[in-house]
Amino acid sequence: MMSAGPSGDEVGLESSLEASITSTCSFGPSRARIFKIIVIGDSNVGKTCLTYRFCTSCFPERTEATIGVDFRERCVEIDGEKIKIQLWDTAGQERFRKSMVQHYYRNVHAVVFVYDITNMASFQSLPSWIEECKQHLLSNDVPRILVGNKCDLRDSIQVPTDLAQKFADSHSMPMFETSAKNTTDHVEAIFMTLAHKLKSHKSLILSQPPENTVQLNSGAKTTFPCWC
Amino acid sequence: MRCPRGRGAQWGNAQGPPKGTTGGRAMSWRKQKALQIHQALTSDPIDIDALRNAAVSEGGLLSQEIRRKVWPKLLNVSVLSLPPKPGPSIRCNHRDFNQVEMDVRRSLRRFPAGMPDAERSVLQEQLTDMILYVLQSHPELNYYQGYHDIAVTLLLTVGPRLGTAMLSSLSTHHLRDFMERTMDPTKHMLNYLMPVIRCESVQLHDFMLRSEVGYIFALSWLITWYGHVLSNYHQVLRLYDFFLASHPLMPVYCAAQMVLMREQEVLRGDCDMPSVHQLLSNIPKDFPFETLVCRTHGLFQRRPPAQLVTQASLHKYKSVSIASFHSLLHSSSSQRPDFVLRRQADPEPGALAPPRSQNRLVKLAVWGLSASLGAAALAVTQSALEWGPEILLGLF
Ligand SMILES: Nc1nc2c(ncn2[C@@H]2O[C@H](COP(=O)(O)OP(=O)(O)OP(=O)(O)O)[C@@H](O)[C@H]2O)c(=O)[nH]1
Ligand SMILES: [Mg+2]
Repeated sequence: MMSAGPSGDEVGLESSLEASITSTCSFGPSRARIFKIIVIGDSNVGKTCLTYRFCTSCFPERTEATIGVDFRERCVEIDGEKIKIQLWDTAGQERFRKSMVQHYYRNVHAVVFVYDITNMASFQSLPSWIEECKQHLLSNDVPRILVGNKCDLRDSIQVPTDLAQKFADSHSMPMFETSAKNTTDHVEAIFMTLAHKLKSHKSLILSQPPENTVQLNSGAKTTFPCWC
Repeated sequence: MRCPRGRGAQWGNAQGPPKGTTGGRAMSWRKQKALQIHQALTSDPIDIDALRNAAVSEGGLLSQEIRRKVWPKLLNVSVLSLPPKPGPSIRCNHRDFNQVEMDVRRSLRRFPAGMPDAERSVLQEQLTDMILYVLQSHPELNYYQGYHDIAVTLLLTVGPRLGTAMLSSLSTHHLRDFMERTMDPTKHMLNYLMPVIRCESVQLHDFMLRSEVGYIFALSWLITWYGHVLSNYHQVLRLYDFFLASHPLMPVYCAAQMVLMREQEVLRGDCDMPSVHQLLSNIPKDFPFETLVCRTHGLFQRRPPAQLVTQASLHKYKSVSIASFHSLLHSSSSQRPDFVLRRQADPEPGALAPPRSQNRLVKLAVWGLSASLGAAALAVTQSALEWGPEILLGLF
């Protein structure tokens, strides 16, 4: 069922993997369905590393602070259907999320909340992320999952699994602990699980909006005559 | 496309750098420009208009040596009143300390490849200190992710102390709007983007509007002055020359111009947010930055912000960055040259003059220049030699 390629455990596969997983997809003339997923959480929890890992099967040795929103995508095949998974990797600093990130909540099909299991503060921020997300999402039944990252750092765990599990249960979200760094932690499986969920989600409208619907964006709501 | 020569200064060679000619002629064009910058720096008061023109016009400020001299002047920073060396207390409980540290720790890519780790760690410490010093001395300013990309460019060019002084000045001028409590003023600046594009191409404007791409693709361009997105350090420096000498909205015009230069590419692509965002975010490695600067300058002259402000979404907000720019222009016009400042600070004659042997070398150098360039070089005065021969030596 999951045929998105190997998870990258075997070192020898690395190069062929990069060849088969491209960051921009071209599925030819048949238009693939698109799943848009937004990834949010505090700064430094590893959102960039997780999305990078999923899209390239590598752990980036040098990430930089994300400013605004970065976009990554990967094409997979689920049950014989080609699917394009688009990940919106957002900036963690509060000032960005308060005014810049909203634009990207619109039309997303799923949300991934990330915290760092070695940083309690990043876990404690989750309620405010969840609240914010509720305000911006268009629909209530958008699938959401919780991801605790950096579980390779076993000696510095601050957020116990059962605490996180309870929290996830109380918000009816599945919870995963993983590591973007460790190849055996199957970051890929998490995103693929989400993709499966989306695929079976009946209320989802997953095609591109028709070209002729003109929706003005929030940044430039009005069109003006040009005075120049 | 002609390159901006601006008002005032006329570069000796009115044709600008000869294109595709011999290295010899190109070299002499650079020498002439360097010499004219040198004259602007040593006249009293310094010729700030000429320096601004030099920073904008083709080739920018040419070398790190010249940038070290000119960048502070563009922000009215005196090399003789620098902030003290920061002590450890600077790191104590500042509200943004954690974020600064996380960002500086992850800024490895901003340092020259091949720099030894030990050296880079020292610079990273200095970077953190620079940022915290400015934040501590201006409690009203808020750190934002990306501020460190600006700070690191200053650090690598002018060093930690001058860098701190420049960062401080920038933070109360060009970057001021980005450092408010919220990013609303930053959004306001970005609100200029689409109207500028519309002035030049309604078709592109409408396409982008239809795609709902918004303006967030240009956010990091604006708030880091492209330092965050360009891996070629020379391109970054060229843009910093330009932006340091320009209006705070210039990076937005630059974003607009960049999109306009890629118009055909954009129009050929899919009209949806991810596609357009993706396309525009990936700036081609070989993008012609010199042309970009040149055209952006022209665009700004043609469509100045005042002309756009008549549009509803733009005029209701007062930008502190824009308002303070005029006072910066004014105050920077009466700066004394460094050699005068040094003399004032230490009136003992000869104390700061270069050692005699070096002085003779410089005189020889100037003589050589005069011979090859003619009259222009004769304007290099004795005071210029006192002031510091680095630039001239840098020519050889
Ligand atoms: N040990 C370990 N380190 C990780 C892991 N994931 C990320 N990191 C490190 O954590 C730091 C932050 O990672 P990023 O992916 O840049 O964090 P982010 O959430 O994107 O941060 P912002 O862009 O500031 O919002 C980096 O230094 C990574 O190398 C992980 O699974 N294990
Ligand atoms: Mg990130």
